[in-house]
Amino acid sequence: MSRVASTWSTVGRSLMGSIGNHSSGLLRTSHDIMTRLGCSNFFSQQQRTFIQMRTNLKVVDNSGAKRVMCIQALKGKKGARLGDTIIASVKEAQPRGKVKKGEVVYGVVVRAAMQRGRCDGSEIKFDDNAVVLVNKQGEPIGTRVFGPVPHELRKKKHVKILTLAEHIA
Amino acid sequence: MRLEKCWFCSSTIYPGHGIQFVRNDATIFRFCRSKCHKNFKMKRNPRKVKWTKAYRRLHGKDMTQDSTFEFERKRNRPERYDRNLAENTLKAIKKIDKIRVDREAKHHALRMKGKRAKEQKEATKELEQSIHMVKAPAALQEEPSLTLPKIKVQVLKPQTENHLMEE
Repeated sequence: MSRVASTWSTVGRSLMGSIGNHSSGLLRTSHDIMTRLGCSNFFSQQQRTFIQMRTNLKVVDNSGAKRVMCIQALKGKKGARLGDTIIASVKEAQPRGKVKKGEVVYGVVVRAAMQRGRCDGSEIKFDDNAVVLVNKQGEPIGTRVFGPVPHELRKKKHVKILTLAEHIA
Repeated sequence: MRLEKCWFCSSTIYPGHGIQFVRNDATIFRFCRSKCHKNFKMKRNPRKVKWTKAYRRLHGKDMTQDSTFEFERKRNRPERYDRNLAENTLKAIKKIDKIRVDREAKHHALRMKGKRAKEQKEATKELEQSIHMVKAPAALQEEPSLTLPKIKVQVLKPQTENHLMEE
């Protein structure tokens, strides 16, 4: 049930994202449509947790991989959060890329659905789990990063990723 | 430090409160408390939810256009710190707030104007139409004065007392 719910919400989000210019009127009407389509109230009341073994993550750079499965969260007994590095196995890759399917790579979590507390007391959370592949030294393998990234990365010394990012949340 | 506005209810979010949700298209939604956040997750439209500022502004319950709102517009250029400027700004904030509250009160009074007259008219009409539920129509016809709520009765108390005293 929750899996169906998450796919529904991602469909909804991508629908709203693809509408392009976000005039509030348009956004509101799509909201209306979604409620009229009978979305239940139990949709997004999921408890989001850490990124742990077997977690699928989206790859948001142009290193060639598309999906990656976490096999180890470095640092953290319960799992990785926003800004942490993980070891992952490439599950799906583009045909001509720098990484191939089945490779074991390092990655930095740049978007996590679990909220992370900021030093000013507020919390931030994203829509999905996304990762940027890096090498052992922490330098990104790809040359572009898509989507918003948090500025927690600055503290973790992933400055290169921040420079490549198109939007810093 | 910056005081943000909640996306759902338009109240100010002070530092240390609330959750920020960043969507993949980089739109940031800030919520002041979990009530607003949960309503957002339920995909409710704030323009249809009665207690939000968006609804109130849309339906004319609160002021929409006023010069005092111009002072609260978002400015992205940081100002160099100047003690005099900061002091004057603080004083101005207090005054502007007072003016804004006064104007909102006036707007509310204007909105509620004519309510007393309307209520009085409705009350008299109801009295005319439904007095039969309180007093029987036969009794009303006997004494037309019974239709009026006030009845004056003469008090004859001192004479009876004299009678008792005499006995």
